[in-house]
Amino acid sequence: MLHIKCPHCGMRSQNEFAYGGDATVKRPELNKEVSDQDWDNFIYNRKSLRGKHKELWHHISGCRQWIKVERDTATHEIFKTVKANEEI
Amino acid sequence: MSTISALQNIHVKGLFGDHEDKNPKDLLKVSESKDFLIIQIVKYKNSSVSLKDITIDNINLNNEALSVSCNIDTRILWNSPNNWLLVSTKKEVMKEINEKLEEAHFALTDLSHSRAIIEIEGNNTKEVLKKGCPFNFNEIKKNTCLNSVYNGMSVTIDMLEDAPDKVRIFTLRSFGESLYHSITDASLEFGYNGL
Repeated sequence: MLHIKCPHCGMRSQNEFAYGGDATVKRPELNKEVSDQDWDNFIYNRKSLRGKHKELWHHISGCRQWIKVERDTATHEIFKTVKANEEI
Repeated sequence: MSTISALQNIHVKGLFGDHEDKNPKDLLKVSESKDFLIIQIVKYKNSSVSLKDITIDNINLNNEALSVSCNIDTRILWNSPNNWLLVSTKKEVMKEINEKLEEAHFALTDLSHSRAIIEIEGNNTKEVLKKGCPFNFNEIKKNTCLNSVYNGMSVTIDMLEDAPDKVRIFTLRSFGESLYHSITDASLEFGYNGL
């Protein structure tokens, strides 16, 4: 079981969290033309990295805040967690 | 009109589990808590109101993680940043809340009838909690609270006392029966007195 340090609540079990996907994906800018390829990349296409990965997690059974987590996808080691509005 | 509490037809009074040849004082006490005023208070993100100037029943809204601010009637539990759960036996507090927490800055939700509340008291209280909840209960002290899961059910745990341990567990009313059975099953090993 993973333990994730919530920046608000402290160290908690993974059971309290829901995975929220890649934290590096940026939504195309509003009110600008978006190509089908860019939209596909935003909606569907993800890299499946081996190694350090920036992820969003939702502390759904805790403080209900979104957080960013830097995790190694191979070893599951967690290097850093920050609030959703902060940069890792 | 009388209200029907969440566990009215579920909670059974009496001695259960491994209670024989034990001092009744050493047994866990499991009971339903009811008739509270429960209000969720959320401060809007764009609100600039200072929390220092606001007191409800002479208690401040404390933004310190896992903290509980309390007096004999009212407890204000920290839920998350700018989000609190007020639990009070005094229904008149609602009037004060409406006067002091302006609609433009705070969202108020009355959860009084949407929670099932179980109170556990006794030296093995933390052992019962550890059976279903992944939180490290060795570090929790009096007047702290946390949101977590108990056998998959989202719960709020409020530590009322620590000598002996006494906690109040809040869950959604619809989960009340499942949580009650989870808690009482976990308590059988120690023997419990349903009050």
